[in-house]
Amino acid sequence: MDLGTAFAAGLQLDFANLPQQLVNGILLGSIYALIALGYTMVYGVLRLINFAHGEVFMLGAYMALFVSWWLGYSPTATTLGQSSWVNLLMMLVASMVVCAIIGMLIELFAYRPMRSQPRIASLITAIGVSLMLQYAGALFLPNSPPQPIREEINPYRNEVLQIPLKPRDTTFIEKIKVEEAEFNAAEAAVKARMETEGVKSEFDLSPEGRLLRETRNDERNDVTNMKSEYERSGVSLLIPYGQLIMFVTALALMLILRHIVMNTKPGRAMRAVSLDFDSASLMGVNVNRIVTLTFAIGSALAGAGAMMSATFLGLSLTTFFGVQPGVKAFVAAVLGGIGNIPGAVLGGLLMGVAETLVVWSGYGDYKDAIAFVILIAVLLFRPGGLLGSSKVEKV
Amino acid sequence: MKRRSFLYIALGAVFGAGILAGCSGGGSSESGGGTGTTATGDSIKIGLVASLNGDQRPWGVDSERGVRLLVDQINEAGGVNGKKIELLVGDSNSDPQIGKSATEKLISDGAVVVLGEVASGITAQMAIACTEKGIPLVAIGATRDDISDKGPDIFRVCYRDSFQGPVMAKFAFEELGLKRVALMTDKKIPYSTGLSNSFRDYYAMLGGEIVDEQFYEGGASTQFNAQLTNLKGKNPDGVFLSGYFTEVGPIVRQASQVGLTNVKFMGGDGWDSKEIINSGGEAIVGGYFCNHYSDQEDRPEVKAFLDAFVAKYNERPGTTMGALAYDAAAVAVEAIKAVTGDVSSKSVAGALHNLENYKGVSGDITFKGQGGNPPKRALVVELQADGTQKPVKAYAPTDVK
Amino acid sequence: MKYWPTRVVSILAGLGACFLISAAADASGNDYTKRLVVLAGVWVILSVSLNLINGITGQFSIGHAAFWQVGAYSAGIISVQHYANSGITGLPWLLLMMVAGAIFAALAGLVVGLPSLRLRGDYLAIVTLGFGEIIRIIVQNQKPLGEAYGMNVSPKFQFTWLVWLTAFAAIAICRNLLKSAHGLPFLAVREDEVAASAMGVNVTRVKVTAFLIGSALAGVAGALFAHYEGFISPQQFRMEQSFIILTMVVLGGTGSITGSVLAAVALFYLPEKLRDMGPVTGGQLLAGTFATVLAVYLVKRVIDHFHGTKKEAAIRHLGIVLGCMALSFVLSIVLNQVPVLASARYEAEKLRMVIFSGVLIILMLVRPQGLLGHAEFSWEWLKRVLGQRRSEAAQTS
Repeated sequence: MDLGTAFAAGLQLDFANLPQQLVNGILLGSIYALIALGYTMVYGVLRLINFAHGEVFMLGAYMALFVSWWLGYSPTATTLGQSSWVNLLMMLVASMVVCAIIGMLIELFAYRPMRSQPRIASLITAIGVSLMLQYAGALFLPNSPPQPIREEINPYRNEVLQIPLKPRDTTFIEKIKVEEAEFNAAEAAVKARMETEGVKSEFDLSPEGRLLRETRNDERNDVTNMKSEYERSGVSLLIPYGQLIMFVTALALMLILRHIVMNTKPGRAMRAVSLDFDSASLMGVNVNRIVTLTFAIGSALAGAGAMMSATFLGLSLTTFFGVQPGVKAFVAAVLGGIGNIPGAVLGGLLMGVAETLVVWSGYGDYKDAIAFVILIAVLLFRPGGLLGSSKVEKV
Repeated sequence: MKRRSFLYIALGAVFGAGILAGCSGGGSSESGGGTGTTATGDSIKIGLVASLNGDQRPWGVDSERGVRLLVDQINEAGGVNGKKIELLVGDSNSDPQIGKSATEKLISDGAVVVLGEVASGITAQMAIACTEKGIPLVAIGATRDDISDKGPDIFRVCYRDSFQGPVMAKFAFEELGLKRVALMTDKKIPYSTGLSNSFRDYYAMLGGEIVDEQFYEGGASTQFNAQLTNLKGKNPDGVFLSGYFTEVGPIVRQASQVGLTNVKFMGGDGWDSKEIINSGGEAIVGGYFCNHYSDQEDRPEVKAFLDAFVAKYNERPGTTMGALAYDAAAVAVEAIKAVTGDVSSKSVAGALHNLENYKGVSGDITFKGQGGNPPKRALVVELQADGTQKPVKAYAPTDVK
Repeated sequence: MKYWPTRVVSILAGLGACFLISAAADASGNDYTKRLVVLAGVWVILSVSLNLINGITGQFSIGHAAFWQVGAYSAGIISVQHYANSGITGLPWLLLMMVAGAIFAALAGLVVGLPSLRLRGDYLAIVTLGFGEIIRIIVQNQKPLGEAYGMNVSPKFQFTWLVWLTAFAAIAICRNLLKSAHGLPFLAVREDEVAASAMGVNVTRVKVTAFLIGSALAGVAGALFAHYEGFISPQQFRMEQSFIILTMVVLGGTGSITGSVLAAVALFYLPEKLRDMGPVTGGQLLAGTFATVLAVYLVKRVIDHFHGTKKEAAIRHLGIVLGCMALSFVLSIVLNQVPVLASARYEAEKLRMVIFSGVLIILMLVRPQGLLGHAEFSWEWLKRVLGQRRSEAAQTS
């Protein structure tokens, strides 16, 4: 036994799952990255940790929920039409627009009056805004019970992209058929027995009927086992369409953002402001407008992430929904080097993969700590984050 | 100069007074065994501590609604012995420390009996505060076993972890015939870890095999692909999800996406919500969980409760806590009714200890000779496509031992 | 004033105040009041200790609840496992546990303080935040510590005076550090690290010392809290609590010990006090919100653009506040004519955290430097105030 397998046996690592888990990690990370971009952009321009960013995310998810209700997918609706991608697009756009507006309003009313004050004062204001949105939101937004977006709005919910890496053992197909036939026979016997005994539920059967039911259960377990063995005879990557859409949209939005920042006039102004706030304003940059724009773009990205998380993952929304994703994304932003746009993406993906690998290795109960462990480890060696610069501020 | 010496004298006096007062005050550990409260005037005050803010808010709001419904019903019917019931509500902000402060405040405002909480951690703190003052506590949803050890007058209207877990284990093993079960536990919620533990122990005792346990943190996780992929690799026949419906829904929905199909999903009363079917989608239809009651039951208490609730709030209770809170308030009022003479904490606690066969929404409640833990039946229900819960099998307390 | 008499008087006044607070709490005969007094003392220790790290030394730490948690859990677990067979009972044991809590929390502070040597500003902030989360998750996964449910701590000790005595000690430590030559390097590091190091300040030592003392004090608060409550759970030390401690420090005026104390007491009492507020209708809520926003806007304008005397400014502030209160009153009557708004009711228990966060935002907008800025309470200040009164009185008579 070589060292690798010994190690694997000790940790009970399932290497057949590893490729799938890496894909899972990247899918997870892409959403972290999307939210992290908002943190990093605001930080780059204002040197302010926008603690209310997680709450913007939360409000975006609620906006998506309301649009889905407006489209007819309310919790009480019984007959639902076939959904299409147009619905999803409407929800996405609505979330992004509303989040952008909320982001701008927060900046205008809470952060702009504080701009000439010490940064720590703005930080406390940010915490105050964040608490305010959580608690005041709870008064007006539907949250008890927490509301999910109905899955019927996602037309791709049952579709899964399969990428075979190693073909499966086709000899199992025949065996499965045999097992299924046995199961069907046993199931028919139970049904017949229920008819003769005149009971509605299989849980009310007499002891003889229960024996039949037990046989049926064993057959069912056999079918499940056989099917799963068949699946495990090959290796393939499964990507649910919903999550694939999330990933692709996130990627597209990041590329658009990069284009805006690198190739357009407002983007150049944004970089100038981020480099030196005062000089930029002396050079004729309308600083206020650029800051507003930054908040709008960052919040819109959070809105996109929120809409996609809420729609494709079926999360239940409360007003505290944004806190943890917000913190994770913040960590991702710092990990990549806060203020640095590619850094946020790298940090987000890295965190997604790291969390997934921790779960994979069987230490899922420490999943939420790993982000911080990595962060501290990275910052000890690169104090400015992975892609950030770590200049000592001059006197 | 004169002014300064005056200052010194004044401060010296303050210090001296303080020392004298401080010595007499001193500190005491474990004051224990208070005298309780006696209701005066033309109303009887009962207190409710609920998480009206913070991440437990959905359950807190529901428990407040349930209690308020009952109190309003009683008062509309003329109150108890001609006295109105006055409900005092305290917010625990989902935090044991603040929950205890709220309890102390309710007691100092004159509550004869205190109701609440949903979370065991907060209830434990409330139990300490109530025991010190000699006030009876009726817990709503605290299923943790050791809550009742905190004092003599700690009651609850729900069943305990050590009952619910075994019921589901027995159901899974004997009725569903599942031989290999995996667990998924919310590490952040004591309710979930407690339920998983009791399920695991009983299921192993029955001879089943726990193939894996995966963890997540409620509120912190959005994607469960990683855990589900691991579970899939272990090839379970069924998965026991011990968390709240807020996470169970997304987990089951995502499970079908990663190809974890053909498995039975099971859980505890944390599943009970009208929203679980919306967040779990098609995949959760056919899931089984342990509940206190089912809206499909034809017991008159259930029908009356649901009708009254819908009439008052225009919707069904969001979680199972609506019914449990209603029952908690009902047993408290029942005990107050049973008191002859002064309504005091002591007499109400005595009446609670003598309560027998109260027909609650969540089943019959008997405290007599049970030390605050009523032997309650558990109902296993199956989720239907229209969101209703079909009762499948009822377990009496003696069925699992 | 002479040095020694002032010293003695200060100490006596402090001690007297501790025991007076304790006696007043006992005399109230109300356990709720007593409990609030004790918990307020715990928060004072926490906010004063964070003020040392954050306000005085300028190290941006937003994970202070972690040290509190380390202190509480280490003292708690030692008590649970060793109290019975230790042979020590009563106060000495609690003092021992306070020392233990301080030691473990200080070790944790060292762990966090060391990275701070290389990190600055927001990077340090996120490390402290992360450390808090790591501690919480580790505790949550330990069986002996009760996992997410929490841990019973026995025996319980309920010494009101001890909590406030500790708070007084914490204040004294920070005050003396600040006023002595040892404290100057701390302030220098806050103002400018590079310049301080050029002046020969051992920046490393200063930072680590600040973290050590600050976290040790938080650990003492944890030990006191654990033994007072008799039950601790990870939920009580969540991230939000760190934010609230930080808010106390900033709101009081960064670096001002007096400010930290006052803000800690005020912020702790505010949500509890709000429980007594009656239910509010939708119209009142809307009118109140509108009037508050208007008042803040106008007050902010006066602060930014008015250049009269202090007295004139104060009159304007008063006018704005009174005017807006009147407006809110009138508006709420008008709005309550709308049936939807009149029928919507919001109970105080649901509103109290909203008002709490609103007060935070308003105070920061109106007074960004904190309630006291860098100002401190001192005998000189008291003398000045009293003196002014006296001279005013002399003038009028």
